[in-house]
Amino acid sequence: MKKVEMKQLIEKIEGEAELDFTFNDGEIDDVKINFGFYRGIEEILREKDARDALVITPRVCGICNHAHLIASVRAIEDGYKRAGVEVNLSSKAKDIREFTLACELIQNHIKWLYLTILPQLKRYVGERSEENYAIKASYLSTTITKALAIFAGQWPHSSYAVVGGVSCDPTHLDVIQAQSLVEESIRFFEQVVIGMDLEEYLAIKSITQLSEIEGDFGNLLYLLGSNDMATIGKSHDRFIVFAESPLSVSAKSIGTQLSKVDVRYVKESMQENTVAKAVEYKKRLYEVGSLSRGMVAKRPIIKSLHKRYKDSLMTRVFARVDEVGVLLKSCKNLLQNLALDEPSCTLPLNKMALHFEGVGIVEASRGSLIHKTKVKNGKIVNYEIITPTQWNLSHGTKEEQGVAIKAMVGAKSVEEATFVFRTFDVCSVCTTQ
Amino acid sequence: MSKPKLLWLQSITCNGNTHSFLNHPELFSILAHFELIHHPVLESDYSFQEVIEGSVPCDVLILEGSFVQEGFLKAGVEVSSVIEHYAKRAKDIITVGTCATFGGIFKQKEPDKISGFAFDIEEKTARYKEYASKLISLPGCPIHPRWLSFVLLMITNGKKVEIDELHRPVELYGYTVHMGCTRNEYFEWKVDVKNFGLKEGCLFYEQGCQAPYTRGSCNKILWNDTSSKTRVGTPCFGCTEPSFPKTSLFTTKTNMGIPAKMPLGVPRRAYLTLTGVTKSFKIKRFSERLLEYDK
Amino acid sequence: MKISEKKALKRESILQTALQLFATQGFHKTTIPDIAGKLKMSVGNLYNYFSSKDILAQEIIKYTSESLGEKIREVNDTDASAEEKIHQIVTIYFTMAKEKPEMIEYFLRVYLSNREVFSDGCEGMICVSGFITEIMVFFDDGVSSGELRNQDFFSAFGLFMGYLGGMVFLKGEEVLPQEIEFYIDDISRNIYNALKA
Repeated sequence: MKKVEMKQLIEKIEGEAELDFTFNDGEIDDVKINFGFYRGIEEILREKDARDALVITPRVCGICNHAHLIASVRAIEDGYKRAGVEVNLSSKAKDIREFTLACELIQNHIKWLYLTILPQLKRYVGERSEENYAIKASYLSTTITKALAIFAGQWPHSSYAVVGGVSCDPTHLDVIQAQSLVEESIRFFEQVVIGMDLEEYLAIKSITQLSEIEGDFGNLLYLLGSNDMATIGKSHDRFIVFAESPLSVSAKSIGTQLSKVDVRYVKESMQENTVAKAVEYKKRLYEVGSLSRGMVAKRPIIKSLHKRYKDSLMTRVFARVDEVGVLLKSCKNLLQNLALDEPSCTLPLNKMALHFEGVGIVEASRGSLIHKTKVKNGKIVNYEIITPTQWNLSHGTKEEQGVAIKAMVGAKSVEEATFVFRTFDVCSVCTTQ
Repeated sequence: MSKPKLLWLQSITCNGNTHSFLNHPELFSILAHFELIHHPVLESDYSFQEVIEGSVPCDVLILEGSFVQEGFLKAGVEVSSVIEHYAKRAKDIITVGTCATFGGIFKQKEPDKISGFAFDIEEKTARYKEYASKLISLPGCPIHPRWLSFVLLMITNGKKVEIDELHRPVELYGYTVHMGCTRNEYFEWKVDVKNFGLKEGCLFYEQGCQAPYTRGSCNKILWNDTSSKTRVGTPCFGCTEPSFPKTSLFTTKTNMGIPAKMPLGVPRRAYLTLTGVTKSFKIKRFSERLLEYDK
Repeated sequence: MKISEKKALKRESILQTALQLFATQGFHKTTIPDIAGKLKMSVGNLYNYFSSKDILAQEIIKYTSESLGEKIREVNDTDASAEEKIHQIVTIYFTMAKEKPEMIEYFLRVYLSNREVFSDGCEGMICVSGFITEIMVFFDDGVSSGELRNQDFFSAFGLFMGYLGGMVFLKGEEVLPQEIEFYIDDISRNIYNALKA
């Protein structure tokens, strides 16, 4: 038995992280994940106006800023309601928020696919590629965030979600343009990513049909399968989703067993040697993100993959790309049914709660994102942000290893482990907010 | 002739400028003018480890994120020392975003220690003098991708970028965000918004809009080539300004109803005289919905 | 003296004479020939300066508002406290009411009583903006220095000007038992107490 320690700097993950691997007899048996600089957004928010969070919190993260905006507005709205101020969003406002959020998720997943997974996988399996994957990432993310900006004004760093609704007042002219951009995105997804019709893709239920998928996604699945990567990267096989969304209900899934969740049981704690805080639910660690949403939603193809491969790298990677298809369809439906004649914001300007505590939850690209705000005299006295990466990348507890760490354990090389690490779509900046 | 070597380094940041730039529709045509030495997200010639070791070439240095002299390490090395190493060698330095330029949001964590690269809010840092001759500031939280491409292409075209006293290109920051706002008529006639979510009304009087005194091209060069904050009814938060972010961002500070801060360069008496005059008229068109349906 | 300067002087003397006649005889009872006669100029020449009686009336209100505004501006431009400034503004107003009663009378008896004359061209605060602007500046300074309480503009403006206007009205009705300057100190203190932070 020989213990060997190795350090690896991981870059291009929305910042950087350092992994310290411990090999035992040629296999990884522990990993320490260290993130960089603590920026202190929660402290910066203290003593600011409650609504300033709508401007400050998106600046936690350049790639999932919109999710932070929606979480922060939901936290204030929850607080208002609990303080007795009625907040009833119009279905128009709800749908526009879901739409812009979906656009951000698509942007994120597609960048992960083309900027991280495909190039890293080709490198890992030793296949030389001259292909400019980045131009594909840039094209789709530019197209879909333009649709987002029609409603939100800009991406990144919009603050268009206001207490009681949205600040925009869209017309048919706006909706038609957004629809056209969604159609363009669907066309790209069909022709470049999956090489098949979207509806036919979404109807795929079983792993026996996976060979129908072509395009870059088909190629990715082929590479994973032919390099013995379908079974590695397994973790605790526990999944949790805190916010309802067009993707899934809110629940947890242990294996395939579904049960209710309550955000009150989420516990955050400091960890040694890193500025990232760990988080657990009733003393157990759960995975969050696309795979969890697919499992909780019982999406047939995810269940089928899980039945064969459990929560392996294959299932995890598939679930994230798969969400792009589901979200594009959802985007199309949301715009088709948008009730333009409803009000955008239902809360009058002078209606305000001055003392409240509220929780806002949103399904961000990497999983459940939780904001908690405590306000006295209109000013924030405490603000807490729990990011998805804190769930997936914590060091773990005495009883069990963190989700990503467990997935890396057993890997035979640093290269294998870091590829597994990247399948979690690691976001350094969100972890060190 | 070899292409200029482009190095993009990050300090204390959210990556917002990186992702904003990735949204540039002509991203790869622009990058084709350069040799990409290192970039936070895109595939590039050298690894971050090699960058840290100080051995990579650099002609154009892009800096993102606010700056701290000590205490921010990457792979065991002070980020400030890596940045200064390349800043000395670069022919051009572009600070992208309000954090890198003035300190920005992250400065508020430790105001005495954290600043922009060459400016601390509006004050010049100790480092300013050494780099002033090759420094271009692009404040904004985040920057617009076309602001950066303008500067990069001016550099590769061998043209001089005219700058103001804070080193901002005048062609980008000579405007105010107010210029080109679709709500301008409501500003002229002092008609404020009745609520969020309406295309009618001005956000300057009550909702905290800082567009009349914020320098930037947001309503000239539209965001994501399609819109802007004020066009979707969100106030401008002054994110290109050295003082960003202020507090009470959704409220206009007023003294007995009079805005505490005047539009850029407008004397208070001129503004108040005009206000008294315009408020004396009730213009029917401005009290109605802009678009009438079912008529 | 240049022709333009001569003209400006003439214009001002027309305004002052008309102001006096409007204030004492009433707006409707005063005719353009009355004004021309008092100035010993021809009616035709007077029309060279003001094309109608309504326009003359509007110009007078601008003129009085500006001369009052100029005096308040001098106060605004000093470093005095808001409390001292209130005292000075009240003094200016009451002094004007005493020394140039026609100005205040004109405001109360012509401007406020003949709104139809001012409906086209003098809507709202247009013709009094010289004065209003300085009151706004005074409020703005007072609030930003922390001396005055921040509140709605009209609730403060109404308190200040309604009070002064009311006192001058009572003076005009000869109801006040004392000379108007007798009230300056108390009224200034009352206004300050009502507006202070």
